[in-house]
Amino acid sequence: MGKILDWLDSRFGIKAPHQRFLQRPLPKRLSYLYCLGGVAFTLFLCLLFSGLLLSIHYVPSQDEAFHSVVRITREVRLGWFVRSIHKWSANLLIVFIILHTIRVVVHRAYRPPRELNWLVGAMTLVIAFASGFTGYLLPWDQKAYWATEVGTSMAGTIPLVGKYLLYLVRGGPEVNGVTLIRFYSLHVLWLPLCMGILLWAHFHMVKRQGISGGL
Amino acid sequence: MDRRKFLSVTIKTFFVILGVITSAIALITTYPFRIKKRTVKYFPVMDEDELPRRGVKTVVFSYKRQDRLLTTRAFVVNHANELYVLSPVCTHLGCLVNWHRKKKQFLCPCHGGKYDITGKVLAGPPPAPLTRLPMRIQKGKLYIGMKV
Repeated sequence: MGKILDWLDSRFGIKAPHQRFLQRPLPKRLSYLYCLGGVAFTLFLCLLFSGLLLSIHYVPSQDEAFHSVVRITREVRLGWFVRSIHKWSANLLIVFIILHTIRVVVHRAYRPPRELNWLVGAMTLVIAFASGFTGYLLPWDQKAYWATEVGTSMAGTIPLVGKYLLYLVRGGPEVNGVTLIRFYSLHVLWLPLCMGILLWAHFHMVKRQGISGGL
Repeated sequence: MDRRKFLSVTIKTFFVILGVITSAIALITTYPFRIKKRTVKYFPVMDEDELPRRGVKTVVFSYKRQDRLLTTRAFVVNHANELYVLSPVCTHLGCLVNWHRKKKQFLCPCHGGKYDITGKVLAGPPPAPLTRLPMRIQKGKLYIGMKV
């Protein structure tokens, strides 16, 4: 196993630069509070994996969406488990991002030179909220429908552009199958892609700037 | 074993176990969950007096598989005083063959498979003759057996 990895790495060359990063000395004052971001990232990986599995059985159409979710829960082997992982990881992700944010605020780790990383982190939170909102519609039951009806109509209250924004989000005047496809596409393609790029930037800057010394 | 080595081995073992469990979950979840054994069911396709006296007649008929109406065709053949039904599915890769009246051959449009009137392979890649479908004549009607 080690030999195969060495063979790959001698061509790919990813080990040495990361070893420098992973085996660097850390500031003394680190505590478990510094793991909150890592926990959030682990939850993101859980979401990514369980989402990939769910997407194999989910059908994003007006007629089929609800039945396919029922099928996932009742008939697909371990489908209930994968769906629960997805649901609970999603809830916990928001919780841990917020805890991580509080930790950063308390330790004042947002100050220069880390202000850009703070912005990227804030964008990550927004993307996480957007993923939660779009994912909420996908079961296509009453709760999902009305939550989206209410949630999207908030966009309509914005002065001047409200109506156009509302139509853009819903794909028409009302929430229907078009909205479902839009939300599905956002939830499984656009938002994870943005999230991946943002997280890469986030970790890159942590690596470059080092962990803040705290208070 | 020193502390560093112990931690390294523990962490590696943890990740290997995690990988095995997640792969198992992925395989179990993605494997199709509704595989039913198909049974042969008979469907009426034509009246007895419509049967070909000699040669090949193509019948188009519909049948139900799991509440879904499917339309397909089959060849009813009367050859050398023997009546049989041939499936149009080419045994090579599953295209539908056509009966060429002048050449008296079943021709597959995909890769040039050729079968004679009894379904025997004459040329091309097909590995086996055309399948003979189960049939029966009952109450003046021809029934063809399809797997549903």
